Amino acid sequence: MTKISPQFAEDLKQYGEDTALECFNCGTCVAICPLIDGSFPRKLIRYVQIGAKDRILLNRNELWKCLHCGLCSESCPRGADPGGILLSLKRYAVASWRKS
Amino acid sequence: MFDPKDIIENIADNVRVTHNPFGLNKEGFNTWWKEVDVPATGDALLFTGLMYQLVPYIKAATGYLEKYEDKPMAKYLKYGKFIPKTVANMGLQKIASQDEKLKTATTLGNMVKILKASDVSFFYDHDLDEYSGVLLYDLGDQEGFENHARFVAKKLQSAGIKKLITVDPHTTYALKVLYPKITGISFEVQTWFEVADLAGKAEHGEITLHDPCFYGRYLEVSDAPRAALNKAGVNCTEINNNGSFTNCCGGPAESVSPKLADEVGLRRVAELQATGKPIVALCPICMVNLEKCGADVVDLSSVLVDAI
Repeated sequence: MTKISPQFAEDLKQYGEDTALECFNCGTCVAICPLIDGSFPRKLIRYVQIGAKDRILLNRNELWKCLHCGLCSESCPRGADPGGILLSLKRYAVASWRKS
Repeated sequence: MFDPKDIIENIADNVRVTHNPFGLNKEGFNTWWKEVDVPATGDALLFTGLMYQLVPYIKAATGYLEKYEDKPMAKYLKYGKFIPKTVANMGLQKIASQDEKLKTATTLGNMVKILKASDVSFFYDHDLDEYSGVLLYDLGDQEGFENHARFVAKKLQSAGIKKLITVDPHTTYALKVLYPKITGISFEVQTWFEVADLAGKAEHGEITLHDPCFYGRYLEVSDAPRAALNKAGVNCTEINNNGSFTNCCGGPAESVSPKLADEVGLRRVAELQATGKPIVALCPICMVNLEKCGADVVDLSSVLVDAI
């Protein structure tokens, strides 16, 4: 069972990013990402939207596959910033393990 | 893939203690200036951010990471931070290639020659030259990055520095975009190829340029190296994915997954090699990864220096 926190996208602002709710999951970021890896990074952005914090932390290593190259953010038709969202999630994950 | 926590906490500890990601003694690896006739006074500080100087150590460390990725030994990486810095420093000095150290000195020396020939008023002070901390930013250690950025910005501010000439995209982005936001201290930052002004005839007639992500997208300065090359009589054979739509070299994944870095880098090398022209890079991280993926790459400075 996954616990969801609908306010998570709001909470993530303290780590720098506030565009997760702009994303409508079109998949442009997945298509253009140089990783060519399943549904990366869209899946993680969806987790932010529904507030699946546990899943993000459970799969935290995936965050560091992101090269921070910025191609997804350059191409996003919604003006969301997938690269920035992943960077914020990295900060969130680092803060989480340092707190624990 | 290594556990990012092990990598990040190692790097964060090194930056905290020694101000560079490898835990090295700066006097031991920032030595290029000793062999170069570089001005001691001028308007702008040549701020290398030590990235080119770290290349020999990046290559050496990556070689070891490649051996242990996804192997049982990988789990011991987290104990790296308990190794005394002096011991780690000696070990890294031993495995870093002397040829690579000479290559670094040549590359930075070429930049100095180009700046001098362009009548740019600049100087170098090895004591003021520091690592920017940008890897901590990229890896998500915002707290560590902010602390380090404040240390560097205050050091430069105390020395009365107003203008910086940078040599790599990561340091440029950190100093130009991130530092003012985080530290409240701003500098006038320009890259070496933006201030270079050489009209001559370089040896290379035609090349293909690999735009680094930070120059192409984040800083939008892709026109500047092309203008400098054109002025020196060098034409760029363009590929589709260039400028603000450049493709990553894979290098940023090097610390957490050399395999992933190779996978991405091989795709980029194939794009660049398709033109059949010599490949030119202008970032030490791109250079390392593209070379590792089989490309024959030269630094922009080595192309432009021929025009003097």
